Amino acid sequence: MLRILATLGALALASGVQAQTIKIAILGPMAFVQGENHWAGAEMARDEINKAGGVHVGGRRLQIELIRADTNESNSVPDATNAIERVITRDKADFLVGGFRSEAVLAMQEIAMDYKKLFLGAGAAHSKLGLNVEQNYERYKYWFRIAPTKDVDLVRTLFAVLGSIGQQIRTDLKTDTPKVAILAEKAIWTEALVAAVQKNLPAMKMEVVGTWQPSAKATDVTAELSAIERSGAHIVFTILSDVVGITVGRQMGERRMKAVAWGINVEGQKEEFWQATAGKAQYVSTLDTFAEVEMTPQTVAFVRAFKARYGKAPTYNAATYDAIMILKKAIEQAGTTEADKLIPVIEKMEYVGAAGTDTWDKRHDLVWAVGKTAGIAVQWQDGKKVPFWPPSVKGMQPFKMPHSN
Amino acid sequence: MYWLRRAWAELRDEVFVLPSRTLALVWALGLLLLPLVYDDPYVLRILTMTCLFAIFAASWDLLAGYTGQVNFGHALFFGAGAYTSALLSLRLGITPWITIWAGAAVALLFGYLAGYLCLRLRGSYLSLATLAFPLIALGLLFAFPEFSGGELGISGLRRLANGPTPNYYIAAVSMLAIVLGLWQLADSRFGIVLHAIRDDEVAARASGINTLRYKLAVFALSAAAAGFSGALFAHYLRVAGPSTLEVALSFQVVIWGIFGGVATIYGPVVAVFILYPLTEWLGSFRSFGELRLLIFAVIVLLVLLFMPRGLTPWLRDKLETACPRCKQRNRAWRSVCRLCGAPLSGADAKIKPA
Amino acid sequence: MLQDILVTGLVNSGVYALLAIGFSLIFGVARIVNIAHTAFYMLAAYCFYALLTKTGLGFALSGVIAVAAVTALSVVCYRLVIEPVREHESAVLIATIALALIFQELMLYSFGGNYLGIPSTLEGVVRVLGVSIPYQRLLILVVAAVMLAATWFFLYRTRLGLAIRATANDLEVANLMGMNVHRVAMASVAASVALAAVAGVVVAPVFVVDPFMWLAPLVTMLAIVVLGGLGSLKGSLIGALIIGYVEAITVFALPGGAYLKGAVALGIMVAVLLVRPEGLFGVAFEEER
Repeated sequence: MLRILATLGALALASGVQAQTIKIAILGPMAFVQGENHWAGAEMARDEINKAGGVHVGGRRLQIELIRADTNESNSVPDATNAIERVITRDKADFLVGGFRSEAVLAMQEIAMDYKKLFLGAGAAHSKLGLNVEQNYERYKYWFRIAPTKDVDLVRTLFAVLGSIGQQIRTDLKTDTPKVAILAEKAIWTEALVAAVQKNLPAMKMEVVGTWQPSAKATDVTAELSAIERSGAHIVFTILSDVVGITVGRQMGERRMKAVAWGINVEGQKEEFWQATAGKAQYVSTLDTFAEVEMTPQTVAFVRAFKARYGKAPTYNAATYDAIMILKKAIEQAGTTEADKLIPVIEKMEYVGAAGTDTWDKRHDLVWAVGKTAGIAVQWQDGKKVPFWPPSVKGMQPFKMPHSN
Repeated sequence: MYWLRRAWAELRDEVFVLPSRTLALVWALGLLLLPLVYDDPYVLRILTMTCLFAIFAASWDLLAGYTGQVNFGHALFFGAGAYTSALLSLRLGITPWITIWAGAAVALLFGYLAGYLCLRLRGSYLSLATLAFPLIALGLLFAFPEFSGGELGISGLRRLANGPTPNYYIAAVSMLAIVLGLWQLADSRFGIVLHAIRDDEVAARASGINTLRYKLAVFALSAAAAGFSGALFAHYLRVAGPSTLEVALSFQVVIWGIFGGVATIYGPVVAVFILYPLTEWLGSFRSFGELRLLIFAVIVLLVLLFMPRGLTPWLRDKLETACPRCKQRNRAWRSVCRLCGAPLSGADAKIKPA
Repeated sequence: MLQDILVTGLVNSGVYALLAIGFSLIFGVARIVNIAHTAFYMLAAYCFYALLTKTGLGFALSGVIAVAAVTALSVVCYRLVIEPVREHESAVLIATIALALIFQELMLYSFGGNYLGIPSTLEGVVRVLGVSIPYQRLLILVVAAVMLAATWFFLYRTRLGLAIRATANDLEVANLMGMNVHRVAMASVAASVALAAVAGVVVAPVFVVDPFMWLAPLVTMLAIVVLGGLGSLKGSLIGALIIGYVEAITVFALPGGAYLKGAVALGIMVAVLLVRPEGLFGVAFEEER
């Protein structure tokens, strides 16, 4: 009898000594907007889960503990690799979420795979991250991309929206083939997109009047805009991720250009964009992720709660919220925190999150679908980002053109 | 047996007589033996990076300290080595053990070219011209993105070895070998000629020294060492990107070099070993980790105010003095010189080391 | 397109001239390569932004205060940081790099890493020769011209300017002649940073403000100063014109190659140095003991 009690006591002690929390490391450039959003989304998920009692793991309830890791990836790739190694070996993180700069995430992915830790991406769009999974599944299977859709899928969304804008131009301006000027920053990630646009636009009955490629850090695009004005373009198709997005927005407004800007403008997704362009970015439109529209039943509530807590709207990096919720769902479904057992669960999962409805393909990339993962399109009107696409989602507003004023 | 006694004699007479050399020996042994007692992968990673950057900094000192050609674009050679090794190993499938040497060779050529372009330049003109070289190279890299991978660089490179400890040993042994080699070179007749060129090139030429050849040789040698460290760096991170060529890296090595003390070879190595782990350690603090660059800059500034010649000359002066008669260095607490017997302290000993 | 190039080149050159002449002034007098020069330009931009948005002072007053504050700061920095290590050239060099990094990190910490936009002092565009130029850019041009004229007046028509030129020519003899070399050095530091600060205040509304905005102009400015010849004000002006126009031509003539404008400017600098190792108007300095 005593022996049984002793064994039971020892067992109880042993399980008590085990980790009481699930450690999730949030990796991002914390001094910048992307890292701030990574952390904010994660905090919201952690507080929500812990307040509800934690995560069910095989009979126990574990709380989530977040580890904040500043990768400084925008400035230094070695800093990022040092950070991820530190959270894995020193801080004993169980799961890794975040990332933003593709060059750094590629390096960080290698380390995460070395240690066989699940790494959920919430920022880098480079296809190679998913290609690695397809080409060497056994090594790279621990990687999943939660946001955004991979770069080539972004193009499909761009075309979908471009079609509807083009249609609006056809009716408003009574012209058959709207003229499009491509304004893409000179970078490797835009090469494929630019080629795709040049190839597909004629099939969409639109004319490409020229391609201009300023530097990503350009602070003056007078030359490009003058030339675009001279070409008579109706739409400026932007593929911009850096400062140049602000320059374009501001200078287009200052010149009172008749053309409307649509495309990818990552700076244009930030709340600070209006201030950064000194209030001149009227009509600039871009691909985005979060807005107070019913992309899913959760979206509006999440965006409102985020705004209430942090004072501004979330960027796509706040999809760390969805990432942690996905982990919770997978852990509860599999009954364990072991990465190898969670992978098949996530692969088959369909997750209705705040950003969209997520499913994954064999590259562990999001499966693209309008209304589910394709994101939304927003336009800056009078200091606010107004969502205008896809029309099927509730809360969309009409798209405004410069010439309609 | 003879060799053992010989080694012991050497140690006793050459190394232990000076505190700085003893420290250097202890440090080298410590580096080599560390993984046997403490093999935390994070610490090994930091030390591996430190060793690689130490090679980079020492190579800069050879160029800037000894010939006075202060190079503001040393990252060019680092990046050249990194990209060459990356391209050859990824595109042609050659093993990294060979491509790192190819990286050093290509960097050597770049060094020769840069040296040639800078032959007629002096002082600040040379520094600012060298600043331009990596930026021009960056422009060219972005102009051919299919070849160079554009802003993403080249990823998916093979490691030289698997696991933190073997990689650490590769870096540490390379560093010790290269730094020792450079130091021996700087301490030899070659080094004396370099000093002469820096102090007064006209006089050196008047003495019959072909200064052009020496300047080119130093550029090439320094570039080769930097390129080697760049190649090791690329294979360690498994990515070779434009960050290997950026201005910030060039400035960083200048800071390390001058902070540690120019014209010493070991000075910049000490600087890297102090500053790099320090900034990393500061960065791991959650509360003020994001301020680590600020703290780094403030530390550099403060140290500079008190030790304007650099850290290691100041430290050495505290530990050792030079004999006024035979000019050889002695432990600071000795009363007579170990070699010539002249008194080291008191009224007779007035000459401070140069 | 030709008109575009003419006008844009002129405006670019004006900005670069303001920066380059200040840098040349410090180098000529104090033999300091002030890496933090464009960092002061950044500080002035941030100061201007803070004054505009946080206080109700107008453009003119905010601008003047920003310039004055940054100039005062530069003199303090010079006294505290540079003067103690004056004799050690290499120490001065990394002292200025460290200063620039400190300013960058302070701005990053206080304002965040986001890009900030400053409202334009003057709104609207004007059409000149068929090119639409925003008034703000014309303002830049006008201010640059005024400041350059003022600098010329200061250097060639005042006693302090004479002292500065004398010190730049030969420091020891100027000292022997009874000029307070320390005071002259401080005055030239103040004048040079004032020029950079004016550039920051006037140019900031046209560009974006972020803690790393000092790096790109630094490189171009160094290229200009080296091209024109270190220590030569005339050289800096001409260098600014050359580089300003080279950049304008690169951007307009090669729409797909706009990102190359930095590399092209630097390439021209290297080419000029090969032919004239001291720059176009530079003076070869004797070895100073």
